[in-house]
Amino acid sequence: MRADRILGFGALLLALPVGLTSWGYGVGSPKSPGAGFWPFLIAASMAGLGAALALRPDRALHPRADGGSRWRSLGIALATLGIYVLVLEPLGYLLATFLLLVVQLKWVEARSWRTTVLTAGIAAAVSFAIFRVFLKVSLPVGILPLPRSW
Amino acid sequence: MDTLGSLLHGFAVALTPGNLLYVLLGSLIGTVIGVLPGLGPTASIALLLPATIGMDMVSALIFLAGIYYGAMYGGSTTSILVNIPGEAASVVTCLDGYQMARQGRAGPALGMSAFGSFIGGTIGVLAVMLISPFLAEAALKFGPPEMFALLFFAFTCIGGLTGKSRARGLLMACVGLLLGSVGTDDIHGVDRFVFGTLYLRDGIALVPLAMGLFGMGEILYNVERRESTGAVVGTPKDLLPTRKDWRDSRWPILRGSLVGFGIGILPGGMPAVASLLSYAVEKRVAKEPDRLGRGAIEGVAGPETANNAATAGGFVPLLTLGIPTNSVLALMLAALMLHGVTPGPLLLFKWPDVFWGVIASMYIGNVMLLVLNLPMIGLFVQLLKVPYSILSPLIIMFVLLGAYALNNSVTDVLATILFGLVGYLMKRYGLEPAPLVLAFVLGPMLENNLSKALIMARGAGLSFFFGRPISGTLLTMALVVLAFPLVKRCLAWRGKAAATA
Repeated sequence: MRADRILGFGALLLALPVGLTSWGYGVGSPKSPGAGFWPFLIAASMAGLGAALALRPDRALHPRADGGSRWRSLGIALATLGIYVLVLEPLGYLLATFLLLVVQLKWVEARSWRTTVLTAGIAAAVSFAIFRVFLKVSLPVGILPLPRSW
Repeated sequence: MDTLGSLLHGFAVALTPGNLLYVLLGSLIGTVIGVLPGLGPTASIALLLPATIGMDMVSALIFLAGIYYGAMYGGSTTSILVNIPGEAASVVTCLDGYQMARQGRAGPALGMSAFGSFIGGTIGVLAVMLISPFLAEAALKFGPPEMFALLFFAFTCIGGLTGKSRARGLLMACVGLLLGSVGTDDIHGVDRFVFGTLYLRDGIALVPLAMGLFGMGEILYNVERRESTGAVVGTPKDLLPTRKDWRDSRWPILRGSLVGFGIGILPGGMPAVASLLSYAVEKRVAKEPDRLGRGAIEGVAGPETANNAATAGGFVPLLTLGIPTNSVLALMLAALMLHGVTPGPLLLFKWPDVFWGVIASMYIGNVMLLVLNLPMIGLFVQLLKVPYSILSPLIIMFVLLGAYALNNSVTDVLATILFGLVGYLMKRYGLEPAPLVLAFVLGPMLENNLSKALIMARGAGLSFFFGRPISGTLLTMALVVLAFPLVKRCLAWRGKAAATA
């Protein structure tokens, strides 16, 4: 019920800037709709649905969010993904993916070092071989001294 | 060309060695995806979409369709053996399938689920073949008002069929429409919601959105909330159902095929809805309803047949009207457009190879899955023993790889991660991603047809839409769908008032 209220107010809050921005694009008239006509309709529908949810939340739904407690693992997983985006091109696919898998397997999933290094090494190398060498997807090579013709 | 002639032509297309290989590969990959929890058919098709760019369009679609119905077959294995559905359509199979496995009858449960899937899939394909040409012929007469009315009707069904709460479903659909309106407007050339970035001018791409919401979101959710998986109930030996099992299952299979196909062709008709509805039907018609949920074979046969019939049924609106009824089919639509095919009523006439090739490949795929799946169940059971803690980083790797391979762009990877975070939050707060993705795809078509229809109407307003028989009927149907919950609430309120009086 509370989640419905938050969602309803969230939708109302989002509908306002969307509606104003759409108005700025030019709503036009029903005879000749402008570029803002469609997004304005969406904003109006969102506002209506948001108001309905905020005022009449569904009592049958679970009142609390359904979540777990492994916050540390989730934080590490998200931070590693963010860093992966930054280092993918400079380091290259092979190295960046190997490091991503090492962090995920060792610190998010708590596997042994042996399993971590073996799985990360094989997975990064095999996926690189399939996509770069066979499917010719130009995955970044980065700092590793690999033949560019691969 | 008559239907039989066209179908034979389709078989000639599908039976080329290359396409046969794609049917085999697609159904195998699909089965594995269905078996493994955490990577559903939507995320997998999104992931493999870039890999189909090099294929010719018929092969690409045959391959992706194989993944879709393969996943429906594979999903039941985990439901029966471990009590964990491999994908959403197999949730109800857990109820009786797992109980059967605990009673030592995992073999007949798996066998009946494979046979049921085969029969449902085949009846579904047969119906697709018979209905589609008529529908495509009728749809050729559709102008922008009719297309708008049809899409609007599809849109109103999304909220009602995909989640527990209709308002939440429709709100998610609105978010999808909003995301779909990002980028340069086709008619006026105005940049909308691009915030000065070049990336957003082309609009948000479907693949990072779908892979983020379905693939990455699911993985992040599981990282935070790790549940212990159930024990695998051994490798079943005898897979053939008994004569009594067949007797108990023949009507559920027939009912499942009809329910499944009917749901499949409806907008918002997910296979998961079909299997759920089939289970409800079986429970209602059963002589001893209490048996269902305690290991009754009808509870496996009906839903498993229904989800495969729905999978086939979904191809009717996709191939004849260009309208996807669920998120997997939305990605199929993206695949068609990626290969320069304009989905819609003309597809059947302009690209008969695509239409009939895919239909024929579905017959072949259904046979292949039956022949392959039964002997390979032991192998799939072994696959289930790979710990999820190893699988989940590997799935993340494939999702990121797929995102990059689409355009060789790190921005797509970033977009996938961001949508993954959104998908995780949605899952945590019980919000369905399917209406969002479906509306994202339908949105631009809806806007385009509405704008054209309004210009055609020259200010005549609603009377223009309601004055045309097809658009008028479709809009009335949409209004009935929208008003239905209100009417139901009023009736319930009156009933309660009468009871207290």
